[in-house]
Amino acid sequence: MSFFEYGVQQLINALSIGSLYALMAIGLAMVFGILRLINFAHGDLMMVASYTALFLLIDGFPFLGAAIVAVVVAAIAGLAMERVAYRPIRGAPDVAMLLTSFAVTIVLENVAVLTVGARSRAFPAPPFLSTVFTLGNLTVSSVNVVAIVTTAILLVLLTFFVRRTDTGISMRAAAEDLVAAQLMGININRVIAYAFAIGSGLAGVAGLLWAAKVGKVDPFMGFSPVLKAFIAAVIGGFGTIPGAVVGGYVLGFLEIFLQGILPGQSSAYRDAFVFGILILVLLIRPNGILGVQEREEI
Amino acid sequence: MKRIGSLLSLALVIALLVSGCTAPAPSSTGGGEAASAPAETIKIGGAFNLTGELSSLDVPAANGAKLALAEINAAGGVDGKQVELIIRDGKTDPATVANITTQLIDSDKVVAMIGFTDSDSALAAGPLCQEAGIPFITAGATSPKLPSQVGDMMFLTPFGDNVQAAVGAEFAYDRFGPKAYLLWDKGTEYTTLLADYFKTRFTELGGEIVLEDTYQSGDKDFSAQIAKAKSLGEQPDFYYISAVPDDIGTTVKQFREAGITGPIVGGDGYDTPLLVEVAGDAANNVFFTTHALMDADNGSEAVKSFIEAYRTEYGHDPENAFAALGYDTMKLIVDAIQRAGSTDGAAIAKAIEETQGFPGVAGELNYSASEHVPRKGVTMIEVKDGKFTLAAEMVPEKVPAP
Amino acid sequence: MDDSLSRPVSVAQPTTWQRYAGVATPLLLLLLVTLYIQGASSAYIQRVWIILGLDIILVASLNLFNGFTGVFSLGHVGFMAIGAYVSAILTLPLEKKAINLPDLPAWLAHIQLGFFPAILIGGLAATLVALAIGRPVLRLSGHYVAVATLAFLVIVRVILINATPYTRGSRTFSGTPAYTTVWWVYGWALVTIYVAWRVLRSPYGRAMLAQREDRAAARSVGVRVLRSRMWAFGISAFLTGVAGALWGHYILSFSPNAFYFAETFSIITMLVVGGMGSISGSVIGAILVVLLSEVLRNLEGGFSLGVVQIPPLYGMSQILMAILFIGILIFRREGLLGGREIDLTKLFVVDYWRSVFRRKEV
Repeated sequence: MSFFEYGVQQLINALSIGSLYALMAIGLAMVFGILRLINFAHGDLMMVASYTALFLLIDGFPFLGAAIVAVVVAAIAGLAMERVAYRPIRGAPDVAMLLTSFAVTIVLENVAVLTVGARSRAFPAPPFLSTVFTLGNLTVSSVNVVAIVTTAILLVLLTFFVRRTDTGISMRAAAEDLVAAQLMGININRVIAYAFAIGSGLAGVAGLLWAAKVGKVDPFMGFSPVLKAFIAAVIGGFGTIPGAVVGGYVLGFLEIFLQGILPGQSSAYRDAFVFGILILVLLIRPNGILGVQEREEI
Repeated sequence: MKRIGSLLSLALVIALLVSGCTAPAPSSTGGGEAASAPAETIKIGGAFNLTGELSSLDVPAANGAKLALAEINAAGGVDGKQVELIIRDGKTDPATVANITTQLIDSDKVVAMIGFTDSDSALAAGPLCQEAGIPFITAGATSPKLPSQVGDMMFLTPFGDNVQAAVGAEFAYDRFGPKAYLLWDKGTEYTTLLADYFKTRFTELGGEIVLEDTYQSGDKDFSAQIAKAKSLGEQPDFYYISAVPDDIGTTVKQFREAGITGPIVGGDGYDTPLLVEVAGDAANNVFFTTHALMDADNGSEAVKSFIEAYRTEYGHDPENAFAALGYDTMKLIVDAIQRAGSTDGAAIAKAIEETQGFPGVAGELNYSASEHVPRKGVTMIEVKDGKFTLAAEMVPEKVPAP
Repeated sequence: MDDSLSRPVSVAQPTTWQRYAGVATPLLLLLLVTLYIQGASSAYIQRVWIILGLDIILVASLNLFNGFTGVFSLGHVGFMAIGAYVSAILTLPLEKKAINLPDLPAWLAHIQLGFFPAILIGGLAATLVALAIGRPVLRLSGHYVAVATLAFLVIVRVILINATPYTRGSRTFSGTPAYTTVWWVYGWALVTIYVAWRVLRSPYGRAMLAQREDRAAARSVGVRVLRSRMWAFGISAFLTGVAGALWGHYILSFSPNAFYFAETFSIITMLVVGGMGSISGSVIGAILVVLLSEVLRNLEGGFSLGVVQIPPLYGMSQILMAILFIGILIFRREGLLGGREIDLTKLFVVDYWRSVFRRKEV
């Protein structure tokens, strides 16, 4: 593998992992934009969707059918989560909502351990998610291509949705000022429910792609990716959909680049650099790369 | 409300004091129906992290131990007494691990303790057992330093990582050649030790690590590491990857997808059905050191009946090597109590030290006063056509110092 | 809901002896319970009591920052890790050091400190780090501090895993001398509570509260927001580092995994349950959460309810504690004490009892 090929391969890798992060970050950003809630339980919705699909596939469902049911289940789970845990504390300080989502994560993970067991299970991905394309020395897995395409399609669809549809416009109004939107006669509960349903459905999609990439599911599978998605969303500009996408790709590039250039064992410091950059972004551009500057510094 | 809070806490203090003093023994997985009115039982403590991050390793170990217990009691227990395994959950939390150990020793009055699959927990529990003079056999922690760190009451059921790493190095050096690629998970003790001992033995043999790389527990994307490996001018003779059971299928899958076809070598973390289930055909040409050939078709009679019993009881194959190790640990401790003819800690420890040729499912166990990490053959498995097959049974020529 | 303990009672200022009695009563109670537990309880109860004391220090010092300044740190467990590792390295006996940490630089390899100086250095190390990261990070507002300190926690973990010569990396750090006793723990717990109480009544404490309530107003009257936050962060990090050191010399074997999200969330649960901003709330939160989760954990293994046999449900205690936490946030967001203090001085004021009994008669 020549140096040039190596660079191209790492570029492909960065795009691949970046699009998965972007997909997860969009879901987080949808909810954050309106409620200013960093929903850590987003990762557990990925887990819920993956297990749903897994059990359906074991029962002989075709993949597409199982995937659709799984995404719907994730959306319903997200709605239930909003109704039970988040709606009653709406208007609380941001941190209280963040902490609530931690608690929801603990509940869901332990319920999963109690019900489906702690063991990992293989996730039978269909051929279109598990083939590998080769070009000379370069390889790219189809799940990554699907992730890139899905991210692009969803970005277009969601942009259209929030710009052109009534619900989308009320969502933007709510994101700008929840109280004002309410005064304008927008049904806030409905708008928030939409945001949660869409965000959770996206978590479901991301969960399925993640499970196909990793090849297995377990009760804690959502924790590590949601932490990544969270960084992506912050770096990109929390609450904006294009920002989340940009953040996802930036994070993907950072990770692959650092892992690629840091020599030997020092590559193990990668996450320290990534989170260090996160702090830097917060200091320099608190609202992210694409975020609107509403600097509130002391 | 304040007063309710204060009263509540007071009530809790009292509840705890009472419950601690009367010590309800939880989950006494006793001898089933036969033990409905146990006159006198022999109590063994089972300390496992049944929840939290380590649960995927500890639950199989606890399941294996429970299976062994049922067989022991069905066969009449020890000298007519039924054996009771009191299981408590350490929750992958150091303070809780120490709490449950104290409870098992102090409140449940166990005569011996088994459990845990990691050194963090084993080292939190071990010294407490040592102080109380109660033998503790860890079902899965593989650091060969454990007995010297804890004392003469500490035993291991698995071999030390230095032994299996030495076998891996010697086998791979002879079979594949002197150039190795090394990738390891920097986030766990097991994978760190395995990689360290492998490196020591392999370079001692004259081998060379052409590229060394790491990842963090939780990482599921190895594409950057793989591209780095592929950019080597000349591919190494084999790839040594030190990973935990939950990761290994994913790792092998991604290496193969990227076009790396050379032999992949590793340790007993690979001994899980997930390897073939996740990686599929990609798992072929993978070699790993482990305790025994755990295959329902090709394994020994003991292995076959163990897998059969495990399937019947839990509805699926043993999740990883820890299931068989938990099973062996339970059988070993009961055997030692029987031979000791007493429930005195020192006598049991002595009986464990005198164990020779104990026929475990996961290999034959031999201990002595100076070997609390068992002397045990290492089995080398090769994955062929999606099946685990026996590649070699070896004792290493030289073992790196712990 | 009876708020009489925290509601101001319209009586004359309590006299000096009444005030002393108000402070002495809980101390005496604590001493008696500790003596009783030391003398008459099982090793397990003694263990829980010590863990409780450690958690009281952790929660009270977290409250000193989060509660007093209103800025939320999610990274305090990082300071705890620093305290634990620094103190453990400094006190490790030399012969064990040679075996366990062979790559330690010479100046560290040949020193072995006593417990008290090691604790102090552990705490100071945490403070230094806090001041270094605090300067940029505490300028941020709202939940951005939470995000940045969360990032700090991850960074501490990565460094602990990679600083192998000092920490053994992800391998278990063992051989820490078992110095921590119940007296050390509760001694430091009292110091922590006293410090928090003094800070609250100092000009800096007033500044912290002022900027918590209204930053612009506070600034307009000359409160230096960053400086007051830095004071709180530094003191709080010191006490958390001390708690980490005590924790390390009690648990004895640990690895970077011990200082991560699970521990973070457990301390925050105690803080929120008790009520942010209240020192007595921190103590009550710790007592409630530690004891309740121990009781629940003991029930998890399955028990008999007369006719019904409850099977083992491992994980149930975590689930119930998390639900309790959500419940507190929904139904009593300010925590049990709602930021107020329990002042036992009133118990020694005659008028208080009069008012209590009068109300009963109605």
